[in-house]
Amino acid sequence: MIWFFFIVLSVFTVGGGLGVVATRNVVHAALFLLLSLLGVAGLYVLLASTFLALVQIFIYGGAIVIVLLFAIMLTRSREYPHISDNRQWPIAGIGALAFFGMLVVAFRVNNPVAQVRHHVEFTDLGRSLFTEWALPFEIASILLLVALVGAVVIAREGGRRG
Amino acid sequence: MLSMEWAWLIPAISFVAFPVIVALRRAAPIVSALVAIMAILGGFVVFWLVTVDRIDHGATGIDFFSYRWFDVGAVQLTWGIIVDPLTIVMLGLVTFVSLMVQVYSLGYMKGDPRFGWYFALHSLFAASMLTVVLADNFLLLYIAWELVGLCSYLLIGFWYELRSATEAAKKAFITTRIADVALLTGILLLFKEVGTFSMQETFHQAELLMLGEPSALSSTTATASALLLFVGAMGKSAQFPFHVWLPDAMEGPTPVSALIHAATMVVAGVFLVARTFTLFEAVPNVLVIVAIVGLATTLIAATMALVVTDLKRILAYSTISHLGLMMLSLGAFGYTAAVFHLMAHGFSKALLFLGAGSVMHGANQTDIRKMGGLIKVMPFTAILFGIGALSLGGVPIFAGFWSKDEILISVLDHRHPIFTVLLLVAVFLSALYMARAYFITFLGDLKDENRTAHEASNTMLIPMILLGILALTFGFMALEWTNEYSGIGSFLYKHKPHGFEFNVALGIGSIAIAIGAFILAWLIYRAKVISIEGLKQRLNPLISVIEHKYYLDEIYQWTIDRVILVFSSFVAYFDRTAVNDIAVDGPADSIKRSAFNLRYHVTGLMQNYALGMIIGAIGVAVAWWAVAVYG
Amino acid sequence: MITLAHFQIVSAALFAVGLYGVLARRSAVLILMSIELMLNAVNLNLIAVSSYVESSVFSGLIIAIFVITVAAAEVGLALAIVLRLFRNRASVNVDEIDLMKW
Repeated sequence: MIWFFFIVLSVFTVGGGLGVVATRNVVHAALFLLLSLLGVAGLYVLLASTFLALVQIFIYGGAIVIVLLFAIMLTRSREYPHISDNRQWPIAGIGALAFFGMLVVAFRVNNPVAQVRHHVEFTDLGRSLFTEWALPFEIASILLLVALVGAVVIAREGGRRG
Repeated sequence: MLSMEWAWLIPAISFVAFPVIVALRRAAPIVSALVAIMAILGGFVVFWLVTVDRIDHGATGIDFFSYRWFDVGAVQLTWGIIVDPLTIVMLGLVTFVSLMVQVYSLGYMKGDPRFGWYFALHSLFAASMLTVVLADNFLLLYIAWELVGLCSYLLIGFWYELRSATEAAKKAFITTRIADVALLTGILLLFKEVGTFSMQETFHQAELLMLGEPSALSSTTATASALLLFVGAMGKSAQFPFHVWLPDAMEGPTPVSALIHAATMVVAGVFLVARTFTLFEAVPNVLVIVAIVGLATTLIAATMALVVTDLKRILAYSTISHLGLMMLSLGAFGYTAAVFHLMAHGFSKALLFLGAGSVMHGANQTDIRKMGGLIKVMPFTAILFGIGALSLGGVPIFAGFWSKDEILISVLDHRHPIFTVLLLVAVFLSALYMARAYFITFLGDLKDENRTAHEASNTMLIPMILLGILALTFGFMALEWTNEYSGIGSFLYKHKPHGFEFNVALGIGSIAIAIGAFILAWLIYRAKVISIEGLKQRLNPLISVIEHKYYLDEIYQWTIDRVILVFSSFVAYFDRTAVNDIAVDGPADSIKRSAFNLRYHVTGLMQNYALGMIIGAIGVAVAWWAVAVYG
Repeated sequence: MITLAHFQIVSAALFAVGLYGVLARRSAVLILMSIELMLNAVNLNLIAVSSYVESSVFSGLIIAIFVITVAAAEVGLALAIVLRLFRNRASVNVDEIDLMKW
């Protein structure tokens, strides 16, 4: 049973990823990205972290993909929606494959045999987030503020005070 | 009064005078000349004081005074002087003739724009020549030797506006330079074997070799170094085939020819062989070569003196001939005779050159064909020139006769009879060409253009008179005078003193030959009984070869063009391509070019860089894994 | 049994795919999408390890949260830059941005 879900979700994930990198149509690429992200969310559920799965769907699937689609809309070029690939794509493919091979080897070498997936209590997570990890939490919020302001400044029309 | 060890002052005064004169030369030319003359006069005075001291401490002794100069690693270099009879006579000759010539130059070079520089060079030359004479080690000798060559170059090319003068100066310098390579090699060979440049030590080793005792010199090395030193001497003393520079050197001012190319510099080679005679005696076979070279030079130069028509060139070839005579004497173990002739010839030839200068100054000619009957307008010059001619022709009571006689005796005693016979032929020829020169120039009819020729001024005549006196009387130094001085052979000798010898047959014979030559010359050139044209016709091929100087200049030029310059261009090509382009520029060029091509990897595209990073990361991982697995 | 290794391989595959996208795509927006894929792969790995290890230590989970946060901020900023770029050059082709070269 678990296996079935695992396989399907993995296919969604990796297949969505392949779709992002292979398709000629940029809008299709964004939709494939959405598929991939949702697959990852499903995998999170399999891994017994439901909270994170929700966070993933909201933020990634909701915010980020929307923003990407807006960006695609605003940066329409002459060839829209078609885009082409780089000149170095064969070598890139080989490089990526090699990297994958390396990672596989590394993961197999370590080969942990743990079988049980642990679930983390939501309340424990929350408590830890505001005690042990309070400082990174605050800094993350500042980071978000900076990014917000920065994005506004950079994308401003005009060009006064660049 | 003055100890011998101060003899180094003699060249030092002139050395110091040189920069002073150079500084003053344009502002006060007459003062510069006087500074030079004072310097050499001072040297002459010191010479007398040194001679007195030498006689006080044993006239025939030899003393070395060495002073530390500097060290090179384990080698200690010194500078120092020798004071022995050879040095004494050479010092006297050089200082006196230099003094005479410098006084003469006051008149001869008057009005020359570079008057001051001329006297500066004279000072430098006198200082260098005196150092050659005094040096007690080969290094100092070589340095002074090269300096003398430099002064000769500068003085031959003194009137450098003339192309012929610069060419002659170059020829002199290069010819002697080639010989100097041999000299340097010989000196270095001796240094390598003996371990020091000191002459005292070298002669000591040579003596050991001669006595058959263990010595630092082997027979081969001694022969090789003696030969090399002799080749060096051949260059400076214009022995055949290095003689080609001396006739061309007549392009310089006549007083220069008198001093350098008659009395002092050219005898440096003879002096060198005399100074190192101990070494030569240890390998007597080399002396045979010396004698042969000397004899060949004498004869060849004498034949050439008979056909040239420029007065100075006749005297130049005569000098070469007499230098050959001195070498022949040394080659026949005639040490005393050679040095004595060196001095007698020095005085007489200097007198002749000064006389020729007087003729040139007065008549503005050097070609004897355009002269004649000059005795009528320049009587003093004519008489003094006649004294010199008679002296070198070998007429008794004049100095040249005594010295030539001594040489004849040495050659007869120590060498194969053929040498003596050929020497007598040379005696005949030398008398003949001297008479020829004299008769054509001074006797006969006075040409119209020469009627305004004037006699020399006093500053020119007085040195000539003094030299004339010496040419007349110096010969008597060969004889016994008092108990203490029994002839030149008792003062200046090798191994044992000898009194004056006189071989009656030889003496009468040589006088007869000389007189015979004078009579023949009279018949040809004065009485015109024997026709010169007829002689020329019959001997034409021979005369033609002689007139072309035995085609030596052409042979040398061919060698330079076809052999040396070809090799040089090859060397230049090798240097340009292999050394410069490949070895030196090569690495730089290849780096530049490879950098030029490598720069294209900076494409400016981020994705290319990212790919590079990925590949690098994979590479590191693989390497890490390999090390972990295979150790 | 599904072990940790399985999840990690999926994560690796996703990472490699994202890597290829970063290196080979021409449009800046697509590169950004590929970066998101890579970040997701990393997150997956983190969560997987954190899950298979005992539950008292869950720093992997926390870090994954932060990764998502930072990724979101980064996407915002990056797209702002892309917009600026588009305004200047009327194209988001990264192939044309090669001023810093030889």
